[in-house]
Amino acid sequence: MVQAINSTLDYALSKNNDVVLLGEDIGRDGGVFRVTEGLQAKYGSDRVIDTPLVELGIVGMSIGMALNGMKPIPEIQFQDFIFTAFDQLVNQAAKLRYRSGGQFNVPMILRTPYGGGIKGGLYHSQSGEAYFAHTAGLTVISPSNPYDAKGLFMSALEYEDPIIFLEPKKLYRSVKMDVPDEEYKVPIGKASIVREGNDLTIVTYGSMVPVVSAAIEKNKVDAEIIDLRTIMPYDGSTILQSVKKTGRVMIVHEAPRTLGMGAEISAFLAERAIDYLMGPILRVTGPDTPFPYRLEDYYLPNERKIMKAVGKLKEFR
Amino acid sequence: MTEVFNGQEEKDVFLRAYSSMILSRMFDKKIVTAQRQGRVGFYTPTIGQEATQVGVSMALNPDDLVYEYYRDVPFMIHRGVPVEVLLDQIMGNSEDSAKGRQMPSHYNAKDHNFMSVQSPVATNLPLAVGAAYAIKHRKENRVVVTTFGDGSTSTPDFHAAMNLASVYDLPVIFLCENNQWAISLPVEKQTKVEIWKKAEAYGAYGVKVDGNDFLETFKVAKDAVDRARSGKGPVLIEAISYRIGPHSTSDDPSKYRAEGITEGSEQDPIVIAEKRLKDLGYITDEIIDRMKSEAKRIVDQKFDEREKIPPPKPETMYDDVYKEMTWMVKEEKGEAL
Ligand SMILES: Cc1ncc(C[n+]2csc(CCOP(=O)(O)OP(=O)(O)O)c2C)c(N)n1
Ligand SMILES: [Mg+2]
Repeated sequence: MVQAINSTLDYALSKNNDVVLLGEDIGRDGGVFRVTEGLQAKYGSDRVIDTPLVELGIVGMSIGMALNGMKPIPEIQFQDFIFTAFDQLVNQAAKLRYRSGGQFNVPMILRTPYGGGIKGGLYHSQSGEAYFAHTAGLTVISPSNPYDAKGLFMSALEYEDPIIFLEPKKLYRSVKMDVPDEEYKVPIGKASIVREGNDLTIVTYGSMVPVVSAAIEKNKVDAEIIDLRTIMPYDGSTILQSVKKTGRVMIVHEAPRTLGMGAEISAFLAERAIDYLMGPILRVTGPDTPFPYRLEDYYLPNERKIMKAVGKLKEFR
Repeated sequence: MTEVFNGQEEKDVFLRAYSSMILSRMFDKKIVTAQRQGRVGFYTPTIGQEATQVGVSMALNPDDLVYEYYRDVPFMIHRGVPVEVLLDQIMGNSEDSAKGRQMPSHYNAKDHNFMSVQSPVATNLPLAVGAAYAIKHRKENRVVVTTFGDGSTSTPDFHAAMNLASVYDLPVIFLCENNQWAISLPVEKQTKVEIWKKAEAYGAYGVKVDGNDFLETFKVAKDAVDRARSGKGPVLIEAISYRIGPHSTSDDPSKYRAEGITEGSEQDPIVIAEKRLKDLGYITDEIIDRMKSEAKRIVDQKFDEREKIPPPKPETMYDDVYKEMTWMVKEEKGEAL
């Protein structure tokens, strides 16, 4: 996935002189996950900008650039460090279009690695998608594979509102797949059906997609797996259609359970699909605790937890 | 030499400082090697910053508070934090006082008056200001030292803390450990002015010191602590050293910088300390060698010993979120176990 994002950023920089990348250690060093490797050498330090250590400044400055004809692509080194910039995101980026009656807009793509799986402990593992998704005006994307990463990013380049592009750091190097060289887009706001099935629906995204897929294949469950790809605005109609077919549903994410995306999707389905449901809507998620270091493997959803929920759902017929 | 101590007392204090620097250095080398061997997950080396930290530590009383950052092993060792405590944290084992929850280099040593280390840089600074407010409020004779890197001075937290500490004339020592790099960004690209000069803009006292020299650092720190303790408000110390090692065990500095100060060179803080102590007639090569092999032996032995400790039990993961476990967490714990 690192390579797919790197080549897409390269493409963006080559096509449009108003595209700039900015962030900590992204230039000379090539980024702590090497996502921006080689780009400063190619496009110069005015377009691939090594900034001082100030997330608030990186985001605020990007918003100012975006308001003035540029297409900034800021990087926050770890999503865990975004919070000093939260004010800029929530009160500026997200609200500029609305508060100006549509006169201003912020075409910025904020990239940031998120989630666990690398033994990063409390501050290098968080999944904060719900904070962003809860902010009207922000678009939240999380690819689960290199193909989608490129395609979603290509769409993001033409999008006119601020995007939080959450990159599951666990998948940076763990998933390999051939990505076409030619231009293609994956639409924003459209989920993908990773696997078709009839017995139950599993809604997931990001790093959990391969975990869910592996568990389902291995245990030969006739499940339909939906990868949201866009977390906000999520693809309600694809979820609804699937749940009407299967009558059973669970949501899987790494982020803590309470008020996570699973809560939103449950409410959405409770409102619209209650008549089709044969059993409860289940959630397999991280617990409502901070993210631990040594016990990471116990924290994250895994095959055992997923299959336990599958077993429970199958009891309802 | 310093007019702070009398003859024998001075010798003891200086030798103890040197011994802490040596122990820290040996500790550092051990953990870096162990990380390469896959025995440790991650580590942020402290090599090059020993004199800065030990020099400041020497100026403090045991009941002074330290709101430190992730690179302060020498500081902790000099204040008496046992090597075991640091090892247990790094290994995240069941003896770790924070139950293996934090990634390595995020220490806890509350009983030695250290704050728990966080990753987001400089977020400890405003907390140190609050701690100093509490001290002033209770009319205690303590000071607070808070440490951070050169890169951390770019954050809003640094600004907020410097401003607040100055506005309320609080006894805070802001110790900027300027190792000249923030991962790959050199300090010249971090800020246009020397860091110590920023103090003036807040109405604080700023001072720069050679952080490779523990005695110079001690003198400056002593003065700063005296100022703060006597109610003259905060001090910003810029201690200039060099990050001899990589930023962390995940970092490859050859991507972005040429070699600077190297271990064992004339600017290595340990080499400087040895020269100083020899000039004072406090130490000989023989003593140095003996101290070094003793430090190495201690570190090797403790490492092997702590490595045998099992990881924390899975059920401990659910504790300490709130004082009372919420019903949600209770349920989650029940489901998982
Ligand atoms: C708010 C925040 N942003 C980014 C990071 C990632 N990061 C960890 S250390 C570091 C550089 C810190 O440099 P400096 O303050 O000079 O301290 P040093 O590591 O050199 O001791 C960065 C960018 C972080 N920990 N916190
Ligand atoms: Mg530094």
